[in-house]
Amino acid sequence: MIRRLVALVALLCLAAPLLADEPPALAEEVAAGRLPPLSQRLPRTPRVVDVERPGWTVGRYGGDLHMLMAKDRDIRMMVVYGYTRLVGYDEQLRLRPDILERVDDDANRVFTLHLRRGHKWSDGQPFTAEDFRYFWEDVANNKDLSPFGLPRALLVDRHGPRFEVLDATTVRYSWDSPNPQFLAALAGANPLFIYRPAHYLKQFHARYVGLAKANAIATAAGSRNWAGYHQKLDEQFRFDNPALPTLEPWINTTPLPTTRFVLVRNPYFHRVDREGRQLPYIDRVIINVTDDKLIPARTGAGSVDLQMRYLRFDNYTFLKQAEARNRYHVYLWEKAIGSQVALYPNQNVDDPVWRKLMRDARFRRALSLGIDRHEINEVVYFGLGEESANTVLPRSELFRPQFRKAYASFDLTAANGLLDALGLTQRNDDGLRLLPDGRPMEIIVDTAGESTEETDVLELVRDSWRKLGIALFPRPSQREVFRKRVFSGKAMMSVWSGLSNAIPTPEMSPSELAPTTQEQLEWPMWGQYYELLGNGGEKPTPPDVQKLVQLYDEWRQARTDDERERVWLAMLAIHADQVYTIGTVTRALQPVVVRDDLRNVPKEGVMSWDPGAYFGMYHVDTFWFDRPEVAKVSKP
Amino acid sequence: MLPYIAKRVLMMIPTLFAISIIVFTIIQLPPGNYLESYIAELEAQGESVDRQKVEFLREYYGLDKPLPEQYLRWAGGMLHGDFGYSFEFNMPVTKVVGDRMLLTMIVSFVTILFTWAIAFPIGIYSATHQYSWGDYGLTFLGFLGIAIPNFMLALVMMYVANVFFGTTIGGLMDPEFIGKPWTWDKVKSVLEHSWIPVIVIGASGTAGMIRRLRANLLDELSKQYVVTARAKGLPPRKVLRKYPLRMALNFFISDIGSLLPHIISGAEITAVVLSLPTTGPMLLNALKSQDMYLAGSFLMFLAFLIVVGVLISDLALVALDPRIRLSGGVAR
Repeated sequence: MIRRLVALVALLCLAAPLLADEPPALAEEVAAGRLPPLSQRLPRTPRVVDVERPGWTVGRYGGDLHMLMAKDRDIRMMVVYGYTRLVGYDEQLRLRPDILERVDDDANRVFTLHLRRGHKWSDGQPFTAEDFRYFWEDVANNKDLSPFGLPRALLVDRHGPRFEVLDATTVRYSWDSPNPQFLAALAGANPLFIYRPAHYLKQFHARYVGLAKANAIATAAGSRNWAGYHQKLDEQFRFDNPALPTLEPWINTTPLPTTRFVLVRNPYFHRVDREGRQLPYIDRVIINVTDDKLIPARTGAGSVDLQMRYLRFDNYTFLKQAEARNRYHVYLWEKAIGSQVALYPNQNVDDPVWRKLMRDARFRRALSLGIDRHEINEVVYFGLGEESANTVLPRSELFRPQFRKAYASFDLTAANGLLDALGLTQRNDDGLRLLPDGRPMEIIVDTAGESTEETDVLELVRDSWRKLGIALFPRPSQREVFRKRVFSGKAMMSVWSGLSNAIPTPEMSPSELAPTTQEQLEWPMWGQYYELLGNGGEKPTPPDVQKLVQLYDEWRQARTDDERERVWLAMLAIHADQVYTIGTVTRALQPVVVRDDLRNVPKEGVMSWDPGAYFGMYHVDTFWFDRPEVAKVSKP
Repeated sequence: MLPYIAKRVLMMIPTLFAISIIVFTIIQLPPGNYLESYIAELEAQGESVDRQKVEFLREYYGLDKPLPEQYLRWAGGMLHGDFGYSFEFNMPVTKVVGDRMLLTMIVSFVTILFTWAIAFPIGIYSATHQYSWGDYGLTFLGFLGIAIPNFMLALVMMYVANVFFGTTIGGLMDPEFIGKPWTWDKVKSVLEHSWIPVIVIGASGTAGMIRRLRANLLDELSKQYVVTARAKGLPPRKVLRKYPLRMALNFFISDIGSLLPHIISGAEITAVVLSLPTTGPMLLNALKSQDMYLAGSFLMFLAFLIVVGVLISDLALVALDPRIRLSGGVAR
């Protein structure tokens, strides 16, 4: 008897930290026995979230978070904001295991993923290695479901990994050569999902219910075949199937189409705060769908608790004006792109005379020196941006001031000197320099024709380039046409935003800096050459570009962070020196509207899609409302 | 009468065929297609796009097929009730339209009743009391109603409501009823919320109808048969009701033709501003994102209603006004 008592007491003591208070919204369900108690809902070792940020505090339960979106399908933003990933970035952009308890990474070739024991899907079913096996065998390697083969992030030189299930909570992916992109892909804003709720999807899979029955279920639901129906139900990112079990902090309860989404807390969510209380703090997320042009107005009218999407910098003054009346604050966050507007001289242009010039670093430097970035900043960005070459931002540990300043000052004398040194001294009656074959220097810049910002900047660039004896003509077209013209070499120069990830760490791939894909506007054909493994495009000839290719390869084989950092810096230095892309102004600002009593939202942040997932890396699950009624039980 | 109706119905076939070609062409006119505008929208928000997935969708939606083939697939499907697939919602068009159609019909129907209830008495008053203070005052109000665009009125009302009363208008019911099955409470909630959109949407319609009724009635009032009736000692109200008012109503009946499509699509921009869960904003979005089967099928449905509405109003005119005849030849 006494022994039994002791055992009971010991058990209670063990369980004590896990018996931390139930979220009030779920207490009733638990009391009624419809939901197991917290200790049985959490994994055996939950993820303890402790954010290292001044002012961050442990919160209280309750409340509804209101947001606005413009389209039904924007519901996917909750997968971005929820940011539940196998591994995810924290605020310092370090990769941390999230759903996983641990990752063993052997030289970027063999990844052993350890799941949390007792982790459950939002419907209470266990989340195990079976869910990974289902994705690998029955989705990724199924001809009907994946006609285009494995996802690209799983391929290294066209070879997929070997997949092994070691035990119920351990799986292993191994490649012959390193795949350093693998973890980053798992941590993406639109991540690589390598697991599926197998217990749910098996009901619709031909292998498990038989082809005839699977097709019958699909056609009864209005789809063409079982594969189409499986695809439609299996949208972990679109988030539009309320029946699909999830691991996110909030579960979508509203099917499309709707004008109002209600998301409720996931009772099986795997994260807790340092006091052992289950996250998220906020009980429900309510998303109203309205027209995108009305979102700034409705935000200003105080109908949201947290809003960033569809707010533009030019709404700032309007939002600020109603701040006090409607009880919110406007923060300004930084955007994480290398340059708001950047010019891309096409080194693969058709015209042989222009091609020779575009490949000459002196010519590109002259063009860069001929841009008055200060004027652009004042005129287009109210002087709030920063004049910079197209390089990484100061926030990144890879930032060096000399990269930012390289050929980014406004120096007409130096620019004219460079052009004269190229032998472009002949001019016509209009004062335009002449090309070696006697044509006047007229640069046609292709734009996708979508943003007035681009055309405004080009207007200013045109004025200053005129002083170099170079004429600029923008050629607005349409996205598809634009891309085709650049890829085929018809476009001489194009305009787009700069580096898409300008806050990299050495661990992140420097693929943007070397020719790796056709999408690169400065060297589409060289990029295509590497994308198709030499089966198309052109092999780059300039030694500096070959050096970049070699460096990129070194990065992929690198084993230490020091080595990776060295490669990154070398690549950035080559870019700064060679001016492959011409940046203008960076650090543009993004207004973020936050309700006065919403806590744990950082005042300053980076608005970055990948890495970061917008609010995702700031842990929306730890945001909480500091209002009296929140302490009370709020009805679900 | 029957051969005439048969002829009209037969005529509808080539008309609708022509309309379907025009609708399809116009939707295809802007460069690009649904996937292009989808990618553009994602990239405008700074998101990345999985090109592999885009290729899969291009094939799955048949956007890689030539345009005539796409047209035939769509038009052929409509013949047996398949209105196609909405790319945006990833579900059949009929399911997307669903609940919105009902709400749109409620709002439009109440709006039309509101318009008639206000416009009739005022129009008659204005005509019979021409150039009186009452006429001037109501005419002034009427012109205001015509001159202020609906969406502007909606914006002003939203602003006033927010700044002075601290409430937000918009939506057609209390949020907790959205997406719930219909109950008596939900109906009450819809009625409570629908008066603002009804006033906003009805304002210009009311004003227009007042003007037309007044003008038509004035034409008739000065005619000799009215004078005769009065001279014979018929009470003024009875004169009005018996003769000129009935004459002046033809415009009202021919309006039915345009009224039908209005019931299901009315006031797109206003609905967008007030964020009403009606079909208007959906059509607008579908057109913007080139969700072509959703937009196309919806426009076809509107066209069909116009054609039917015109037929109905023509038949009603024949039935109601003996001066209008089906057979040709010179009257009198």
